[in-house]
Amino acid sequence: MAWEQIEWVKAASGLGAGLSVGFAAIGAAIGEGYAAGRANETLSYRPGVAGDILKTMLVGQAVAETAGIFGLVIAMLMLFSPSVGKPLLTGWAYLGAGLSMGLSAIGCGIGAGLPAGSACLGIGRQPKASGQLTTLMLIGAGVAQSTAIYGFLIALLLLFKSLPEAMNWVAACTLLGAGFAMGFGGIGPGIGEGIAAENAVASVARNPENTGLMTRTMLVGQAVAESTGIYSLVIALLLVLST
Amino acid sequence: MEELGKISVWSTDVAGLHLVFNLTTIYMTLSVMGILIIFAFLATRNKGLVPNSFQVVAEIFVDIFWKLTRDALDEDMAKTYFPMICAMFMFLLLCNWIGIIPFMDEPTKDLNTTLGLGFMGFCIAHYAGIRTKGLKGYVKEYFQPIFFMMPLNLIGEIAKVVSISFRLYGNIMGGSIIILVVSYLVYGLIIPPFLYAFFGLFVGTVQAFVFTMLTLVYISVQVK
Repeated sequence: MAWEQIEWVKAASGLGAGLSVGFAAIGAAIGEGYAAGRANETLSYRPGVAGDILKTMLVGQAVAETAGIFGLVIAMLMLFSPSVGKPLLTGWAYLGAGLSMGLSAIGCGIGAGLPAGSACLGIGRQPKASGQLTTLMLIGAGVAQSTAIYGFLIALLLLFKSLPEAMNWVAACTLLGAGFAMGFGGIGPGIGEGIAAENAVASVARNPENTGLMTRTMLVGQAVAESTGIYSLVIALLLVLST
Repeated sequence: MEELGKISVWSTDVAGLHLVFNLTTIYMTLSVMGILIIFAFLATRNKGLVPNSFQVVAEIFVDIFWKLTRDALDEDMAKTYFPMICAMFMFLLLCNWIGIIPFMDEPTKDLNTTLGLGFMGFCIAHYAGIRTKGLKGYVKEYFQPIFFMMPLNLIGEIAKVVSISFRLYGNIMGGSIIILVVSYLVYGLIIPPFLYAFFGLFVGTVQAFVFTMLTLVYISVQVK
């Protein structure tokens, strides 16, 4: 059974959409579950501040969900964009985009959930500092998501790149390699930055006077933890732009 | 599904350059600015100890962001940067909320808006850094911890602009794509209003706040 070119592209878009949304769902769900678990743990000994804790948990979960939503968006863009007259290489670009978005969202979903959980614990410990804790949690979770955003950027570049008509195995593997580079490169930094943010939030809950110092230390640490993600971004950009 | 990715543009040739303007974004940005100017006028018109309803809202914004700016920067430096931070949050909040009105689009759905704001924050943070540390101290920062880390430090600084602007753009554009696709699948019945409430009001507020706070902490990292 010989497939037409358009069927290959359609098949690749289905596969890429599955990779993107499937992998992205792993991280976001773990992060949100962690936040909810910590919120429950806090409520067990401090039911008085239930409103604050519920609010913080929901905001933190919404931030952790961002990575999953990015995966969903890339999947929808692949499924709903017309595949008529696209060159065969587009299929490989779809696979690369799915890998880049899906894998990089795993780490960032978990990473963004960690500070949300520790902010819930912190509010139980120090209800007066809930404003500072929520702000720091949002900053930390936002920075922890940077690698998922780089993955999103690479996926968008792969989706909307104009590719040569002729099929070429080097170009195909380069496109796939860009997806692997950014996807795997995004897992570690996401979790690592999440750990930095989690502990910064926990320390502010212990000692709210030092918020400024903790915020700066957290950001410097996160910037260093992110450097491997930035190496991946550079390599992925080089690979995408070289085809 | 043909609305996906369709934009109205106005293109012109100036001095041999082909310039393309995204009309929807320009109109929407101007409407947001107009609304904010009217709001500011109404809030400050009859200032008094007993505030009118617009003044109350303005005071809430000023109070919250003055505290946040003062905590992140020093008292006198906060006086310089506070108006920018507060105005940026109000602008982004209205930008993200305006999409829930029918026939209105979020200006932040366009990458040009968020990239422009991110680049503005980058320039302001680095200007603040040069002003406090001097040019020598500022350049020295890039050679930490070892001199050959300089290119990576530079890329790291540029990646900050990419991540801050794509975070806002991705969230708002992602929300609007999801709303569009889901409305198409359910023929616009029942579900879309809740999606607008979640993506427009809730995610929009959180992301506007995250963008503003990240701009603020990037300034604070540069000056400390």
